[in-house]
Amino acid sequence: MKYYLRLGIVLLVIAIVSSGILAYINSFTRPIIEENQKRAKAEARKEVLPVATDFDSISFFNDETVYVGVDSIGNQVGYTFVASLYGYSSLVKTMVGLTPELKINKIKIIEQKETPGLGANSEKTEFQEQFSGKNIKELTVDKDGGNIISITGATITTRTVTNSIRSGIEMMTELTGFGIQEDKQEEQE
Amino acid sequence: MKLISEFSKGFIKENPVFVMALGLCPTLAVTSSVQNAIGMGLAATFVLVCSNLIISIIKKLIPDKIRIPSYIVVIASFVTIVDMVMNAYFPAIHKNLGLFIPLIVVNCIILGRAEAFASKNNVIKSIADGLGMGLGFTLALIVIGGIREVLGAGQFLGHPILPATYKPVLVAILAPGAFIVMGLLMGLMNKFKK
Repeated sequence: MKYYLRLGIVLLVIAIVSSGILAYINSFTRPIIEENQKRAKAEARKEVLPVATDFDSISFFNDETVYVGVDSIGNQVGYTFVASLYGYSSLVKTMVGLTPELKINKIKIIEQKETPGLGANSEKTEFQEQFSGKNIKELTVDKDGGNIISITGATITTRTVTNSIRSGIEMMTELTGFGIQEDKQEEQE
Repeated sequence: MKLISEFSKGFIKENPVFVMALGLCPTLAVTSSVQNAIGMGLAATFVLVCSNLIISIIKKLIPDKIRIPSYIVVIASFVTIVDMVMNAYFPAIHKNLGLFIPLIVVNCIILGRAEAFASKNNVIKSIADGLGMGLGFTLALIVIGGIREVLGAGQFLGHPILPATYKPVLVAILAPGAFIVMGLLMGLMNKFKK
């Protein structure tokens, strides 16, 4: 009996020591990681909508802020939102930049843990570039009769990216109705 | 002299992948390109050296009956530490390797070396063993990854090396290709060892 108690206690001590070390390291790495992610998102916003010099938050989508991009003289030049959907083995998050007419300006995959060599190829620029200039009706994968060229061996990831962006643009259509000004006034009243 | 043989045995004589058939899950999963192979190999080597070091230090404190769960706690803690520190201070590297880090926990080479070597040998020898085994693992991944990338994508390390008229054998970068290439390489190793 005493022997088994000793086993339990040794294991308990090991677990306490290692969780203590992990908690300690987590306590100072977490803020840095969050700061990095925030900065990465800001950079991604700038990349998908380069004409904008400033971003104002207008709504929330997928727990992420939807921004309207404003240029240096105050014109609204587009929108950015984060499209996210579960793919083959992970959540795939895409930063999407839209023109004021809700056409895709540029997309950037900001988070994915899909299969290396297959779904992870969605991070390549050749894949992401084909989305530029497309509107909501053109967002269908080639396997489903559309014109988004799917990644070899990763149709599911391609569909995930495409569908998440499509539902994001649907959300934007409802949100803006091509008339963001009216929405904003309503909010102020 | 003994130390050098502890280090070098991991490359050919006791290669973890081809001879001991350990760590096959990550081997099959990440060898679709050379770049992935290098990333996974080096990350695993780092954890392997660290866990061998810690386990050979604390081996006398751990009762025999609970050594396996203890080793797993040590290894998992190490992997988590690597993950967090890398994510915080080297976000660019983490973005490339982040995918493989959780896979290191399930790499049975690390537990295998802890059990078979670090728990019976001193610190210096354990480090040499971890380093050799880790680099041997990396070498095996690079060989498999190289063959699959050249056949399946016509590239090596992301650079096209075959003429554009070459039509890639897609199956090579899919899962069956991993099994086929690894099986052939194991067979070849066996033939030449005899």
